[in-house]
Amino acid sequence: MDNVIELVNVRRYYLVGDFCVKALDGVSVNIRRGSFTAIMGPSGSGKSTMMNLIGCLDTPTSGFIRIDGEYTNNLSEKELASLRNRKVGFVFQQFNLLGKQNALENVMTPLLYAGVKGHERRERAEALLERVGLKDRMKHLPSELSGGQKQRVAIARALVNNPSILLADEPTGALDSRTGEQIMELFQDLNDEGRTVVFVTHDRGLGMRCREQVYIHDGKIVEGYER
Amino acid sequence: MIWENIKIAITSMVHNKLRTLLSLLGIIIGVGSVVAILNLGQSVSESINESMQIGGIDMVNIFPTGSARELNVFDEQFGDTLMRNVEGIESVLPAASSSTRIRSGQEILSVTIGGVTSNFFDVNSAELLYGEYFSANDNINRRQVVVLGKDVADELFPVGNAVGSYVSIFRQSSRRYLVVGVLDEKDATLGTSFNNSVFIPLNTYDQRFRRVSTLSSYTCKVADGYNPTAVADEVEAYLNEIVGSDYFTVFSAASLVDMANQVTSTFSSFLAAIAAISLLVGGIGIMNIMLVSVAERTREIGIRKALGASPRVIMMQFLIEALTLTIIGGVIGILFGSLLSYAVVNVVGWQLYFSWSAIVISLGFSAFVGIFFGWYPAAKASKLDPIEALSYE
Ligand SMILES: Nc1ncnc2c1ncn2[C@@H]1O[C@H](COP(=O)(O)OP(=O)(O)OP(=O)(O)O)[C@@H](O)[C@H]1O
Ligand SMILES: [Mg+2]
Repeated sequence: MDNVIELVNVRRYYLVGDFCVKALDGVSVNIRRGSFTAIMGPSGSGKSTMMNLIGCLDTPTSGFIRIDGEYTNNLSEKELASLRNRKVGFVFQQFNLLGKQNALENVMTPLLYAGVKGHERRERAEALLERVGLKDRMKHLPSELSGGQKQRVAIARALVNNPSILLADEPTGALDSRTGEQIMELFQDLNDEGRTVVFVTHDRGLGMRCREQVYIHDGKIVEGYER
Repeated sequence: MIWENIKIAITSMVHNKLRTLLSLLGIIIGVGSVVAILNLGQSVSESINESMQIGGIDMVNIFPTGSARELNVFDEQFGDTLMRNVEGIESVLPAASSSTRIRSGQEILSVTIGGVTSNFFDVNSAELLYGEYFSANDNINRRQVVVLGKDVADELFPVGNAVGSYVSIFRQSSRRYLVVGVLDEKDATLGTSFNNSVFIPLNTYDQRFRRVSTLSSYTCKVADGYNPTAVADEVEAYLNEIVGSDYFTVFSAASLVDMANQVTSTFSSFLAAIAAISLLVGGIGIMNIMLVSVAERTREIGIRKALGASPRVIMMQFLIEALTLTIIGGVIGILFGSLLSYAVVNVVGWQLYFSWSAIVISLGFSAFVGIFFGWYPAAKASKLDPIEALSYE
């Protein structure tokens, strides 16, 4: 039972005026190390909310979250930042690359925050860019890259500090189906190499290719996919 | 990490050149004027000092006034009395002067005539062109000998050497004096002009001119290692004690210089303080651009936080950016201010003295402005919620 992610009765409520939005309403999930999990559900069901909680970008209204053995309750902003830096690699739908930095600098950034020395930063970033097939695009700015290439840079960046989990929130959402397919294959390869991948998708077909599925509806885990 | 942050700051400055320049204008003008004002103040003081260096800076002059002679204080022994009572005086030269006319052949000139002791020339470092100074013996024996100033000699003896000739000096009746020396050209010091004067032994002067003399004086040479201004103050205090302030005037070039320097430095500090206010206004410009920068880069901040940047790291990034900005502004301001003071000094004709302290002070001030006015925007950036920042359009 090696669970790299554990959520215990997690709630995340938003107060909007007098109205309480229950984005997550008592979710308990375990995700095993080395698994490839799809999180599926209709729009607004709370998928991104759950990803942000797992990635320590957000803190729950109540409940416990444990990431790679570390409880996240009561951690300071600084400790949460360090946890994000060491344990979590994020891949976003909108790529979220730093626009004024080239591909290499983008990939080196998490290492900068981890305090890794200059030459080692460069070596590791170059190796990963090579791994995702962008050996000849290292000095390109994001604006000079295609959508698929941007997402590869983002994946290299997510992996560079060797995190315990790779979180991808609709990573193929902004790509055409053929490029999306390539990105999906890259994730599958990474999982084959032993990475834990959590993958949010709208696409039922892509979701079914993952080894595990978690269905979510109105902030709750449900059995099977509901429309 | 610091280097990376400076690189990021410079990248974003280059990206928005015009905006950066406009927001730096306040700092540039502020630092520029502080540097220019302090440089000019320094140059003014130095040029005052320099013009005083020619002569007389180590002299303190005492002019008895009013009916001082009746007090029997300012007599031959006064110099010795003074040296006994005031420390730091090397020698005291009594002197007297008035104006008279002098003739050689058909030439008649109006000149200042000084009655001086034989060591007067040495103490004032008045060099000879021809001949020699008169001697102590000449003084004791009241000989009728004269040393001519350069201009006087040139006028009376346009050709040839004046030494050995006789001149007539008028006072009621005229008397013949033997010219024993001619002085080289020498700028006037405070107290004595040399080129247009003639000098005779003090005792001779006493005999022939005392009754009509309008002014006599004592010139004290300040010993090495003593501050002339302080010695002047002591002389004044001593005289106040023995004769009272109505009967003398003490005058020293050094205290004039001190006063002038004080005025310049007060004035330039005052102007610099006013200019520093524009630095503060410049700081508001910095705060403004930093707030814009934080707002514009909200998404970038969100991304950096998602990648593991702690609030402190984000805070540092924006503080370093503000610092880089103001220090670059400061450097441009220093160049600008130095050029400005160089131009002014060239026009006025002083020599430029660089005020290094102005540069250090204004760089320090720029850095302070950067940190002070960059703090709030940087703190604001560091406190952004990562998810909100990431979804910022
Ligand atoms: N900052 C917020 N303030 C108020 N409500 C919010 C906030 N963020 C999310 N919500 C609400 O929480 C619910 C879940 O949102 P979430 O973004 O997790 O959905 P999602 O499953 O990712 O949807 P999609 O598939 O469209 O991305 C939604 O009803 C949304 O309106
Ligand atoms: Mg979503």
